[in-house]
Amino acid sequence: MKPGPWQKANYLRDLLSELVRRDIRLRYRRSVLGVAWSLLNPLAQLLVFNFVFGRVLPLNIPNYPLFLFIGLILWNWFQSSLVSGTGAIVDNRDLIKRPGFPTGILPVVMVTTNFVHLLLALPVVLIFVMLNRIQLSPAIVILPVVFFVQFFLTLSLVYAAAATHVTFRDTQHLLGIFLLLGFYLSPIIYESSSMPVQVQPIYRLNPLVFLIESSREAIMKGEWPSISGLFLLFAVSACLLGFGYLVFKRASQRFVEEL
Amino acid sequence: MDPAIVVDHVSKRFRRYRPDRPRTFQEAVLRGLRGLGAEGDFWALREVSLQVRRGEMVGVIGQNGAGKTTLLRLVGGVLMPDAGRISVGGRVGALIDLSAGFHPDLTGRENVYTNGIISGLTRREVDRHFRSIVEFAELDEFIDSPLRTYSTGMQLRLAFAVATHIQPEILLIDEILSVGDLAYQNRCLERIRQFRTDGSAILVVSHDTGLIRKLCDVTIWLRGGRVVAAGPPELVVQRYEQDLREATERQTPGRGKTQMTAFGTQLQLMKNRFGSQEMQITEVSLSTGAGAAMTEICGGDPLQVSIGYDAPRRIQSPIFSVTLSKEDGSICLDTNTAMEGVAIPDLAGTGVVRLNCERIDLVEGEYFVDVGVFRNDWAYAYDYHWHAYPLTIGDNPGGKGVLRPPLSWEIEA
Repeated sequence: MKPGPWQKANYLRDLLSELVRRDIRLRYRRSVLGVAWSLLNPLAQLLVFNFVFGRVLPLNIPNYPLFLFIGLILWNWFQSSLVSGTGAIVDNRDLIKRPGFPTGILPVVMVTTNFVHLLLALPVVLIFVMLNRIQLSPAIVILPVVFFVQFFLTLSLVYAAAATHVTFRDTQHLLGIFLLLGFYLSPIIYESSSMPVQVQPIYRLNPLVFLIESSREAIMKGEWPSISGLFLLFAVSACLLGFGYLVFKRASQRFVEEL
Repeated sequence: MDPAIVVDHVSKRFRRYRPDRPRTFQEAVLRGLRGLGAEGDFWALREVSLQVRRGEMVGVIGQNGAGKTTLLRLVGGVLMPDAGRISVGGRVGALIDLSAGFHPDLTGRENVYTNGIISGLTRREVDRHFRSIVEFAELDEFIDSPLRTYSTGMQLRLAFAVATHIQPEILLIDEILSVGDLAYQNRCLERIRQFRTDGSAILVVSHDTGLIRKLCDVTIWLRGGRVVAAGPPELVVQRYEQDLREATERQTPGRGKTQMTAFGTQLQLMKNRFGSQEMQITEVSLSTGAGAAMTEICGGDPLQVSIGYDAPRRIQSPIFSVTLSKEDGSICLDTNTAMEGVAIPDLAGTGVVRLNCERIDLVEGEYFVDVGVFRNDWAYAYDYHWHAYPLTIGDNPGGKGVLRPPLSWEIEA
């Protein structure tokens, strides 16, 4: 009697939620501030960048703190997922060697855990919205879709990075450099329109440009993002995800074989 | 009904990499991307076939590197075979790496949930079994303390308790009963028997031939990835143990210095001394604990056996054994460090290992103390002295019996 697909889905949901809970519990168990910790990082970044680009080198972007904060939390989600997800195979050898353990769930756990941190930061976004007396429009309902697409995109990259990390154990370090580049090549502290026109076509290949802008427009201006763009990005991410997953499965197999 | 586990002509090949294979991008680039590929491969399993039916327990024995663990991993779906077919029908539970997912900073309760769900239970199932898990582990009052405050034994009990609540249709076991105290081990064995009665198909892998003989319906002996023999445990285990003894004899150098013991017995290789001699037993002395060495004690006296050893090269945690037997070879006492759960560290140089028995309540007569030191997987003996140390037990008349504990007769008429 094989377990049906329904039971299996049920089980995977439980496993995912348990592993995410465990990660979050572990991170905040010994700190006085508890979950507030997860806000500390983006708030500190906000403070610094707001000072530099709001006062010292003013960029003159309206509602700059809110503008900045949306970019920061989306970027932080992407970055932390990649950094922690890269070790998904290597750091979980005991789980990978367990009969019946669905290895492919580990990257999902990492991306989800960091997504929870983003969710915890959303009330802060709301506070900014109220302080700036921004009228939220129905376009806000597109946000979950944007998050969903970013989730897929990040996950596919985490699969590939974790697989690479099995062979080359300095992947995590190299990733740090790429992420630093990525931070400045994404419209987090500046507006994407500030990029010179000549490089715009290349610049827009960075999917985060589209994702961050879509979120900002939906929240700050109440504008709907391009649905076809979202769909295209989703289709590309889904293909990448399939590929990343296969590479990941093969790498985790090989990892068990290399004793 | 189809067998629950079918392994059909399965082979598994592992790739071997150079030891200096680059592990980072940096090294790989510096060396011009050389040495990344596999250097060769070897077959960890070759044409292995077996079946386990529901309610049946199959044991796999063999030395380290024989492919036992690989076999379990293939059946568990952790590895994929390179040839052959494996089919597993039902929920797989595993008593392997029990503490996977345990975290010292989380409480016992939190760890039960994580570990249970990792092992294949849904949250609701863990809810349902929670009480019974805690009871089985006997950890009621500690369940909300962090795991780091637990002793190793307590952690193991908790892990085992979770594992036994999976209600698996297929159960895979890898050497887990070598830990914990005897009473607990017995409860675990009881539980495993219960699984079998309830219809689980069980595949167990172990060095412990005694356990295999006691529990299994069928035993399979693996050597170098191939099945050497399969059949009734008695027969297969006997052949396996004989093979091990022969291995010890093959390892024993043909000629060597004869050595005199303190008792005046000549130790001669292949006659009363066996083993590879990679590590030697240099001196054995018997005493009642405090006093000088002696060859005669009284019944009921304590006995201390001191074993001096010399390991010219580092030996990985060997096993010491002491056997007390009568002249006719029947064994009265048989103990070893592995059985008692004594961890011997890696040894190099010389030292002394002592066995202390509180009382020897044997009847008077002539006995022999046999001592040995074995490789940590019992593959062969490094050194084994057979009937080289006589021991006379006096002053304890016992008729035809073996044992004479302190006793007294009473009569109520």
